[in-house]
Amino acid sequence: MKPAPFEYHRPTTVAEATALLAEHRDAELMAGNQSLGIVMANRLATPDHIVDLGGVEELDGIEERADGDIAVGAMTTHRTIERSDLLAERLPMLPEAAAQIAGPSVRNRGTLGGSVGEADPAGNYPAALLALDATLELASAEETRSVPVADYFIAYMFTDLGEDEIITAARVPTDPFPPERTGMAFLELKPAAQTWPTVSAASVVRVDDPDADDPVIEEVRLALANAADVPLRVEAAEEALEGEPLSEETLDAAAAAATEAADPEAEMHADREFKEEVAGEYAKRSLETSYERATDGDSTRSDA
Amino acid sequence: MMEFDGDFESDLPREELWKYFTDPDVLAECAPGCDSIEMRSPHELTATVAVGVGSVKPTFDVDAVVTKADRPELLEMQADGNASRNAFDLVAEMALVETDSGGTRVDWAARTEVSGMIASLGQRALGSVTHKLVNDFFEDLEEKAREGQPAESKLEAKPDADASLE
Repeated sequence: MKPAPFEYHRPTTVAEATALLAEHRDAELMAGNQSLGIVMANRLATPDHIVDLGGVEELDGIEERADGDIAVGAMTTHRTIERSDLLAERLPMLPEAAAQIAGPSVRNRGTLGGSVGEADPAGNYPAALLALDATLELASAEETRSVPVADYFIAYMFTDLGEDEIITAARVPTDPFPPERTGMAFLELKPAAQTWPTVSAASVVRVDDPDADDPVIEEVRLALANAADVPLRVEAAEEALEGEPLSEETLDAAAAAATEAADPEAEMHADREFKEEVAGEYAKRSLETSYERATDGDSTRSDA
Repeated sequence: MMEFDGDFESDLPREELWKYFTDPDVLAECAPGCDSIEMRSPHELTATVAVGVGSVKPTFDVDAVVTKADRPELLEMQADGNASRNAFDLVAEMALVETDSGGTRVDWAARTEVSGMIASLGQRALGSVTHKLVNDFFEDLEEKAREGQPAESKLEAKPDADASLE
């Protein structure tokens, strides 16, 4: 099927884009167009106006801010994130999450902002950014504001983003993640290579001393994708691990907490019980990997 | 058929909230996605409402009938909505219960039949969004009451009405 007729706008600045949103109440934003086009072609959505952000250069790129935070522009593609040296060194979870999204053609066009804007609870960035305690920067014609990722996802595909707002960037603090004693991992289970994951687990572990015999976990974050109707932070799992070296007992307790916290929707290929089990198992594997990466003194992927 | 329920607590007395729940102008301002509400009679409303999930956001033409209005305790409405490739039938009920501190707890429940594209999103997705929208509605309405925006109770139950999902 072809989409219903619509008027196409291609602004070149954020100010122009937000002005278009203010003017056209039913306008939909288009980022990499890896999802909206399909929805429109099936006439599930029939907006009268499309505002394509592909020409807004100020939204594209990864930069380190003066305060040490790293900002990833909303129109940065999965491929750019996957290949960023800065991210590989400082926030390796993001390249690892990007590399597992769909196939190469989607990664060449799909963007971070598009994924966060669509807010599918199975998406990779929503869970990764939640684990990284990121903040989203939003802009409308009237104002700009920042929203912690933890407050942004409200319900299934439903967010705090206003109808007249666009996401400009995701900002991640790097203070909590000294590379020499931090490990990160993004693991997902997929029924097939280029499709959505059944469940994903994003984790960050920081230890006190990577050279100690049993390094103690100072801080840990765990977030799951597709395990609930929003990206799910599992604080009970974090509490089970913090202040201890990694042991089978605490890891099992964390996995049990992840299974307990999961509230997944059954899918054709995976019923609820299976997804709860996978949530626990992948939480465990992800935490274990993060700990290993933290204690080998290199936060980047051990296979990189 | 899908069923949803929930509650909302306010420290405002139910007599006060009742006026807001039964003033179509207030409903037009607070109802999520509502473009307009017209009162055709004290017990009949028509409205245009754009609600959905993600970018799937059909605009529904809604007809609603007040089937019970026992001031200040119970309000029940029956509504049907039609949009391109989507439709719903709905019975929604709100019980306003006085709390120990003189405030109000609104116990709400809705039974609905949804057909079309929106229905394919599944009950849990719709439930998740419904709770968010209903809470937004109550919060906006309570804020208007708290700010002292004038409201006048204009809705009455249709005589001999009986709410049911066909």
